[in-house]
Amino acid sequence: MKLVWFETVKTFSRWRTYIGFSVIALIVIITEVVMRLSADEILYRMLRSLEKDFLISGNVLNGWFVTAFIMNSLHIHMPFLITLVAGDVVSSEATSGTVRLLLIRPPSRSRIITAKYITTFFYTAGLVLFLGLLCILLGLTLFGSGDLIIHHYGRFGIIYIEEAEIPIRMLFAFIAAIWSMMAVASIAFLLSTLAENSVGPIIGTMAVVVVFLVIGNFPLDFFRSLKPYLFTTYLTFWQRFLDDPIPWQQIGSSAAILGLHSILLFLIALGVYTRKDIKS
Amino acid sequence: MEETFQREIVLRTLGLSKKFGKRWAARNLNLEVHRGDIFCFLGPNGAGKSTAIRMILTLLRPTSGSIEMFGKDLHQNRQDVLSRVCGIVEKPDFYLYLSAYKNLQILGSMNRSVRSDEIMEILDVVGLKSRAFEKVRTFSHGMKQRLGIAQALLTKPELIILDEPTTGLDPQGMKEIRELIKRLSHERSMTIFLSSHLLSEVELVATRMAVINKGELIAQGTVSELLGKEATDYTLQVFPFHSALELMGSLTWVKVLSVGNGAMEVRVEPGQAPELNKYLVTHGISVSSFSPHRSLEDFFLKVTGGKSEI
Repeated sequence: MKLVWFETVKTFSRWRTYIGFSVIALIVIITEVVMRLSADEILYRMLRSLEKDFLISGNVLNGWFVTAFIMNSLHIHMPFLITLVAGDVVSSEATSGTVRLLLIRPPSRSRIITAKYITTFFYTAGLVLFLGLLCILLGLTLFGSGDLIIHHYGRFGIIYIEEAEIPIRMLFAFIAAIWSMMAVASIAFLLSTLAENSVGPIIGTMAVVVVFLVIGNFPLDFFRSLKPYLFTTYLTFWQRFLDDPIPWQQIGSSAAILGLHSILLFLIALGVYTRKDIKS
Repeated sequence: MEETFQREIVLRTLGLSKKFGKRWAARNLNLEVHRGDIFCFLGPNGAGKSTAIRMILTLLRPTSGSIEMFGKDLHQNRQDVLSRVCGIVEKPDFYLYLSAYKNLQILGSMNRSVRSDEIMEILDVVGLKSRAFEKVRTFSHGMKQRLGIAQALLTKPELIILDEPTTGLDPQGMKEIRELIKRLSHERSMTIFLSSHLLSEVELVATRMAVINKGELIAQGTVSELLGKEATDYTLQVFPFHSALELMGSLTWVKVLSVGNGAMEVRVEPGQAPELNKYLVTHGISVSSFSPHRSLEDFFLKVTGGKSEI
């Protein structure tokens, strides 16, 4: 626990750690303020097709809707923000030379690398929760509360969730989002153990995510056949908590696949780090 | 009792070797460091000193051979052994975004629980108490070097391993570190393992030393043992000067190398120096000075084939 605490102190003492939080704060504040100012236009666009088939009343453009809307962009900007720290947490010790002070201490390398991985998890969880809480708090303040009516991209129909049910579903969605982002963080973490600066791991992770996303969304049969094997396919499984009914089996299998990715990547990082010669 | 204390081996390497690709950076090193030693590990740049030290401190995995510390195998007793050892490899790099105090707290606590007053006391020892809460980013190289020694001292190690601790320091900084090393050895009974290629520095602090070149151990022993073997050249100040010169000209086991400034340099057969002194005195020559030439630099250049980086 002491090692985890020290790693956490080190991570949260660096200004780089707060880039992610600052960017998220900017994105959320700008998006929600602009949405508030353009509320009429958004409502018109949202409802013009739905009102042909549904009778819609109440506060549709509410804080929960805005949160779900912003969360949909999670897999685009969050991986980059996560890699800023996850890709740096091990390699920065090599860059700065502190690895030579760190690894001559009694704690084993496996304990040190595990502490760093746990700290990476704290950072990832902190970033996702920060996004979620800021979205909800600012959203509820600017737009008020209400039932959630959403439409998932590429799917038929709309989903309606009663107001009382939304907080618990959102909580599960955020936990699932943390789980997803840990798979991305684990790639950056592994690359960080292989590199001696943080640029490689950050670019490398983003390259993997972008290439997998492109391959997974290419409208050709060959690429479609690859889709189940790409971890990026499962990154948005948190959205399933906003389905009705909740597809628990699908959520379970997505969580298991992403969890296996994270564990495997961590075990490789552990193997690399414990056997690594420190020449820098 | 003191003899037993001096002979206790705190660090022993057995056939320690490291290969990078096809190149042996260190080969078959058998080092012995005794408790209380200021053990200097000498070698030209690229000789393999840092490689050996990195293996001793577990930063590199040996290709073959083993390391024992305090009578225990390092790799089987890593945690126990490393809790009694500390060091600086190459330059002391710290978390620049943290204060000196926070750096010491984090690094020290990885060995054992450290109290706040202990940290301040150590910072006082190395003269950094007044800068305790400033970020290390603002420190000079010399201050970082002293902070490096502070982090090593904080864990109260029995053995301190310092890799080129005076590199990059000005003469004043070098003197400070040298004095600190001597003080640690005498006042805190610490064993110091010190690598360097600055021979003048080593000569002033070492009690035992080893010389490495091209990854292989060339010599090892106490300073007097190693230098004594080479001491066959002497500087003499005698009176009357010309009588002494004539006397020595008749001796086959003495060769006068040079004469000047009221002194002469002579070379004698190994072990014959006392005989020469006695011979001169019994022939009415006053010997006011009889000093051996046994500089470490001469020794070092000889055993490394003249490839010193001094």
